[in-house]
Amino acid sequence: MSKVKEAYKEIENVLGSDFISDKDFMKAAYSRNVDPAFPDRWADIIVRPETAEEVSDIVKIANKYKIPMVPRGGGADLVGGAATQGGILLDLTRMNKILEVNKDDYYIVVECGITWGDLVSQLHPTGYTTGCIGPGSGYAATIGGGLSNSTAGGGSTKYGLVPDICLGVEVVLPNPQGTIIKTGAAANKYAKPFCRYGVSPDFTGLFMGDVGTMGIKTKAYLRLWRDPPFKASRNYLLNNGDYNNVFKLAHEVRNNIGDGLRDFMVLPQIIVQMTAGQLRTAEGKRIRIKGPLFQITLEATDQRILDIHLENLEKIMSKDKMTTLLPNPAGSAEGLEWNYNLKGNFHFFQASISPSPSNISMVTCHKVPISNMGQVYKKVIDFDIKNKDEFPDGNAWPPGTFATMQYLLPNGNFVVLGGFTGDNTDEAREKNMNMWHKKTRYQVRYGAVHYWLGESISQSIVEADAYTPEYRQFFKDMKKTVDPNFLLSPNKFHMHSYEDDITKYLVKDEE
Amino acid sequence: MTEHKPEEKFKHLAKVGPTVLQCIACGDCREQTDYTANPPKWGVCVARDHTSGFEPFFARGKMQIIRSLWQGKLELSKEMADVIFQCPTCNACTEACAYDMDNVAMYEALRAELVDAGCGLEAHIPMNKAMVELLNPYERDNKLKSKWLEKLDFKVKDANTEQAEILYFVGCTAALTPDIEEVAVNTAKILNKLVIDFSIFGEHEVCCGSVGMRTGDLKAFNSVATKNYEMFKKSGVKSIITSCAGCYRTLKKDYADYMEELGITVYHTIEFLNKHIKENNVQLKNLGLNTTYHDPCHTGRHMGLYEEPRDILNKITNLTEMKTIKQSANCCGAGGGVKKGFSELALEIAKSRIREAEETGAAILVSMCPFCYRNLADAIEALDSNIKMVDLTDLINQALN
Repeated sequence: MSKVKEAYKEIENVLGSDFISDKDFMKAAYSRNVDPAFPDRWADIIVRPETAEEVSDIVKIANKYKIPMVPRGGGADLVGGAATQGGILLDLTRMNKILEVNKDDYYIVVECGITWGDLVSQLHPTGYTTGCIGPGSGYAATIGGGLSNSTAGGGSTKYGLVPDICLGVEVVLPNPQGTIIKTGAAANKYAKPFCRYGVSPDFTGLFMGDVGTMGIKTKAYLRLWRDPPFKASRNYLLNNGDYNNVFKLAHEVRNNIGDGLRDFMVLPQIIVQMTAGQLRTAEGKRIRIKGPLFQITLEATDQRILDIHLENLEKIMSKDKMTTLLPNPAGSAEGLEWNYNLKGNFHFFQASISPSPSNISMVTCHKVPISNMGQVYKKVIDFDIKNKDEFPDGNAWPPGTFATMQYLLPNGNFVVLGGFTGDNTDEAREKNMNMWHKKTRYQVRYGAVHYWLGESISQSIVEADAYTPEYRQFFKDMKKTVDPNFLLSPNKFHMHSYEDDITKYLVKDEE
Repeated sequence: MTEHKPEEKFKHLAKVGPTVLQCIACGDCREQTDYTANPPKWGVCVARDHTSGFEPFFARGKMQIIRSLWQGKLELSKEMADVIFQCPTCNACTEACAYDMDNVAMYEALRAELVDAGCGLEAHIPMNKAMVELLNPYERDNKLKSKWLEKLDFKVKDANTEQAEILYFVGCTAALTPDIEEVAVNTAKILNKLVIDFSIFGEHEVCCGSVGMRTGDLKAFNSVATKNYEMFKKSGVKSIITSCAGCYRTLKKDYADYMEELGITVYHTIEFLNKHIKENNVQLKNLGLNTTYHDPCHTGRHMGLYEEPRDILNKITNLTEMKTIKQSANCCGAGGGVKKGFSELALEIAKSRIREAEETGAAILVSMCPFCYRNLADAIEALDSNIKMVDLTDLINQALN
């Protein structure tokens, strides 16, 4: 009997026959995420555990037979994170409960397979929020996926990335013992999980943005805020295309509005032109679109405070006639609102990243310091023009357009959202993947720090030679500590075994 | 090696066209919970919620299976069918889809491929055979379709021989299920009270074919559809009403070409009555009952009839809505051949819906589909619930007295 068959039998004894499968149609169903640039990948075994203890038992069996494992949350990522060729795919979405809502101490405890839509919708009637309400793919995306991918979404300008609201996790280490640990205050067996730091080094961080390489997250302890009930959105058009002004305005808004600023997003001129040809001013005049669009959401605990924020915002944005105020979201052109509704937040990728589903998207979302905005904007365009012949067939976006949506995060950095599209055919796949890696490496080299890493981006970071030798060794040693057999998500970061020299993946002689 | 030609190999999927490759696998169809939606959404897929929940139980997994078949990476199988047929085709995944893909059309095409490949569900075979041979899927003598007429104290025109303004298409469930035949009785009484000239085919009525269409037996469907076409044509009828959600969807949507050719307009009885009541200022008395309403998938998400039953219910009862309603309503679990093929699953889904109805505090659960009635009534019995299942025609008939 093959080791996979033997492992199957042992796992079946743990889970029962209903929650394990090795059927071909089942493998096909799990063969991709929102990432069709990758070829289909069929796992050997797919499991749906319900508890951390079951996950631990699966990990022990995988170690016994040296079978790779990949954890999967909502399968909503675009970077190859939650599918595996061979091995065991752990569908964690049965672990989907809210275990505690502690309004007195401002934290919640959830199982990591719960979706953002479910969590946010269940919290809403209580008047509390996690602040960051999850990524653009949020209906399907899980809390575990958000932590593993360090995603941002609605509310992130104010509340930060998903890991920023994380106080700790329960995680199953991929070691032969299938060790279950808790981090943050929860590591103190006498404490409530109410804070992150002060028990030990911040081992929570080891599992944030790890794209499922360091452990399998089963529970998360998240911050809770009273949801400010007064909110307002404003859309402003920049009256010129100079992205240095985007930096200046973002800086001023951040400095003057403070924590009243909930979301700050910038859409490039061409997207505005494509989606809002009939855009009009509050006075009903047609607008000549000369620059990008700012979509700004403010919030406050009191209407009077909100009014002051709006007044300050108007002063900043109208200074020197830098921008034109468009009608409020309710009256503006369809598709431009960064509304408070979840569809507006969660359908972001469907609406903007995957505008044409017969094509596929190679996303290159990354973070840059806001003072670099003007410079980065030029670099993006330069790269796209210089390499225009290498882009795959089916790329619907003119050079520079797709990679210039920005979303402001705390502490002065922007997420530059974007990517490019290509034909969704097996023949086009290699060209798509090659360009994807090349563009990502280019971004790494201009100092970008990426948004979600998955398989493709994490590999590109390695290929671009971003890490010093010392950091590479430290990373490998950490990985070996938690995963001595290198079984968990082995393709990410090109990290297949301790002995493997990842410098062989470096791509040199490239701009 | 033989070249894979999906258009030739999968003729039913080919009719759905290039959309078989359109799903981007975002997973909104898995669990779109959204308190900001109108109406709020509290989940999508009842099949996923009541099974092991692997991806093929909801839309994204099915779409990947369809894509893999199309791309020659996968073969049809009985094991696949066992999962694909556990979907009640309630269309909630289409409502959730960011790209408005017609998911159910694809499931039905996939089911047709499975049936043609000999992988159809065993439980569906006698049902579809009976539909063709006995003209009803209940394997009963079709003459019994006239039995409910014994409860009337007036004569109903025979559409086979007499002309009428409207044909009342009774449907097999109401005509052949003794404890649901009141749907037919009440429909006829209402039409009689409103002095509407109508007829029925009675024991000659042929099943609309819905079960064949939903379970992938298109030969069976086409057989009865052709018979119905001939009967409609011969009768010269220009308007058809039906009190069955399944018949309504089938006659209006699946027979669309026939109906267009014959110049026939199809109404659900409630749709017709709501219009008639408004246009003729028909007075209805408020019955003072506390009700809640279950949206049948085949009138709701499939056909968009949400307000018509509510207009009437709000006039004649005190309506309290359930947590999930209209586009976001949870399915009763009976449709798509699930009641026949997976009766326990259908019952479990219906039990959830009954619990949801109980949360409203209403004494009466109202719907406008005999098949939903059947499954929900079974769940009420299984749960020993105090809520009472009633078809809307029953209440309208009372309100007209």
